[in-house]
Amino acid sequence: MPAFLADLAESNPRLFTSIWAAATVVFIILSSLAVGGAARWLARVRGKDRMYRHRTFWGYFFASPWIVGYLLFVLGPTLASLYWGFTRYKLPEPPQWVGLENYIELLTGDQKFRVSLLNSLYMTVLGLPLQMGAALAVALLLYQQLRGHHLFRIIYYLPVMLATSSAMLITWRLVLNPNNGILNTIIREIGEAIPPFEWLTRAGVYLVELSSAALMGLQRGDYTLLHRIVERGFPTPGAIPLWHQDQLWSKPALILIGIWSSGAMMLIYLSALLGIPREILEAARVDGASPWQQLRHVILPLISPATFYNLVVGIIATLQIFEQSYVLTENGGPAESTYFVAYYLWRSTFRFNKIGYGAAMSWLLLVIVLVLTLIQFRLSRRWVHYA
Amino acid sequence: MGKKLLILVAVVSVLALLLSACAPKPTPQPTEVPTEAPTEATEAPTEEATEAPTEEAVTIQMMVVDYIPDRTDKWLEEEVVPAFQAEHPNINVEFIYVNWGTLDETVQGYFAAGQGADIINLGSEYIAEYGDRLAPLGEYFADWDGFAQFLPSTLDTVTWEGEPRGIPWLTAPRAYMCRMDLLENAGWDHVPATFDEMVQMAGDVTVIENGAIVLKGFQATGEAATGGRGDWQEFISLIWTLGGTLYNEDGTPNFDSPEARAALQYMYDIHRAQFPDETVADLPEVTGALLASDMLACYWGNLWGAPPTNDPIWERIELFPGFTHPDFPASSPVVQVFNDWLAVPAYSEHVAEAAEFLKFLGSAENLNTYNSHFGSFPPRQDAWFGFVEEDAVMQRMAELMQEYGKGFADIRETAQLRDILMTEIPLFLTDAQDLETTIGNIQSQYTEVLEEAGRIP
Repeated sequence: MPAFLADLAESNPRLFTSIWAAATVVFIILSSLAVGGAARWLARVRGKDRMYRHRTFWGYFFASPWIVGYLLFVLGPTLASLYWGFTRYKLPEPPQWVGLENYIELLTGDQKFRVSLLNSLYMTVLGLPLQMGAALAVALLLYQQLRGHHLFRIIYYLPVMLATSSAMLITWRLVLNPNNGILNTIIREIGEAIPPFEWLTRAGVYLVELSSAALMGLQRGDYTLLHRIVERGFPTPGAIPLWHQDQLWSKPALILIGIWSSGAMMLIYLSALLGIPREILEAARVDGASPWQQLRHVILPLISPATFYNLVVGIIATLQIFEQSYVLTENGGPAESTYFVAYYLWRSTFRFNKIGYGAAMSWLLLVIVLVLTLIQFRLSRRWVHYA
Repeated sequence: MGKKLLILVAVVSVLALLLSACAPKPTPQPTEVPTEAPTEATEAPTEEATEAPTEEAVTIQMMVVDYIPDRTDKWLEEEVVPAFQAEHPNINVEFIYVNWGTLDETVQGYFAAGQGADIINLGSEYIAEYGDRLAPLGEYFADWDGFAQFLPSTLDTVTWEGEPRGIPWLTAPRAYMCRMDLLENAGWDHVPATFDEMVQMAGDVTVIENGAIVLKGFQATGEAATGGRGDWQEFISLIWTLGGTLYNEDGTPNFDSPEARAALQYMYDIHRAQFPDETVADLPEVTGALLASDMLACYWGNLWGAPPTNDPIWERIELFPGFTHPDFPASSPVVQVFNDWLAVPAYSEHVAEAAEFLKFLGSAENLNTYNSHFGSFPPRQDAWFGFVEEDAVMQRMAELMQEYGKGFADIRETAQLRDILMTEIPLFLTDAQDLETTIGNIQSQYTEVLEEAGRIP
């Protein structure tokens, strides 16, 4: 900032702000004129008539604040980050061109990236289907038009607005406290009252620990923990989930929160269900289809576009999990078990000041999301049925 | 049409000016400052710095991370600043409050942008990270008598290339505290004197019921966040206790030393003494100090995490510096001393004014008042009056700090080291990898970090 402006900012902040505001407005108007003028010139070059040119000018004039905003605040930074991805950039030093070094390091040498990518994929492969299943189950319940279904709809949707707020995540920390959290207290109480439930809990603990330990082995190339759990055998009576305290349980804890906050998916499913013509279901019933057969052969195919939408949006959202690692499990712990790609990207860029590396990671994440989405679109031809 | 557009531009500009005039009232200018200083804040040093601050109206910003909401902030804004402005009516001070969770990003952002707060609140280990980007303040402090009053060990924390880059603001030593009544219940009539005794005591005291710990023998302060799976700062303290160092003379990491191995093995042993396997739930989160909850027998940390020093429970708590290891002749208890401090970034355009405010904040009275909020020690010895003198616990901690104190400073590339240790230590403690793998990972990863940062060739 020029010295005279800096002086003005200190001596008369009100005038300084006014000047900035006026300059911004003037800039917007001038850039709108430029965009509109350019559009009109192009129309003239293409031999359009006077009325067309006139409408083109004003159309682009009024659209240009968004066009210019997009160019300056979206496309500009996007291109800058594309360039930075090929540099070693550590502020305050200028970026240094290193070619593909960042990408090669990410794909071949960086164990943290492998850990974070596999953590993200775990959430996508295991967490997302559970989240979608829960959303569908609730939507099917609400579809029955039970008394007070409007109220239930609000109740199920509320967590969407609260789910990733810090206050809510801290509340979850208390709910999931392995020692005296309400969830484990309920599990213990039910287990004491109904012995088969206690056995089921232990089986669940064993299954989760085995699968998480196998994933950890894959991430680090060291299966010591998996061997230890196998050696230890089936958990002893009283075993409980350790949730965010333990590296084997932290991701299931996040999946649980994801299920609790699947209200947006539920709404999509519900609207799709409400769009199914009643006659089709009645015809199925008349033909003797059981409720399960109706669901399997009529409802699910008819709501497949909603399932597809939830799947695509869910994959993108799951690969971008951030708040949960930052607040609930504090710095991606324990032992990097909730280090997800988006979190590692942020940490590399802002905490470790490796801006070039972070930019490369963000582009790699974009490619991964893009590839997964394209695969989904390709596969969708086989199972998504549009009316 | 050109004329119409011109009119349109003019009208919109006038509207913009009018709108901005409706903006909230800006920060009061120095002329609005009350002329009478409140009684609790103290007088500023009267000495003039070599480079006198400007006489023009200036607003400086101070970023604060160590504060208690509604207490420290009120004291700063309502008492300290008015008192300072009574001496310097042209210097206004604004505060930006941040938390430890976002401190790194905030400071990185300031330095990246080359602008930000004129005074920043840094943690004990930060001099190695930011020293070369902070303004040297030697000339401003040259004729300030108060500067000589700071404890030499605290000045190490703020000194870079022989020049002070700020002032220590808060001193928080970490020592061991044991509830003797809980130890006696487990058959212990004395606090552990060796590493092995600590492990033995932790196992003897710990009680597990229904898969969860209900009474724990020992916990380090950082373990509340890791579910009892180690504290990276305790690891460093243990290495020092065993007589080890973090770096070799050539600047390479020394985490594969016998001392580091022994420290890590001890952390494993004490963990395993309390968690027979990894199906046991750690202590719950509690409000207040765990030591006062009857759920924890021994604690390593500072007095913030301990019961209030006027709590009668202190009659049952023994405060001690640590223990030794018979296999390491150089081992000696270490009280890790954290000195949070205030620095002036080199990008600041108001270094002289910021230094003036630092001198004011650094008076014995102000440091005493500020540290009384936290139960921490003023880093100036002539500020050890009032709550420091009158409190037996503080007195005992002061003795330990003087005899066994070692500053938690010069930790290079702290953020990345913290990440490495917070990943590798829990993996070892939970049997996910063995000692040699853990040591190897720490050493190789940290070496890579230091190389990349250009700290070693």
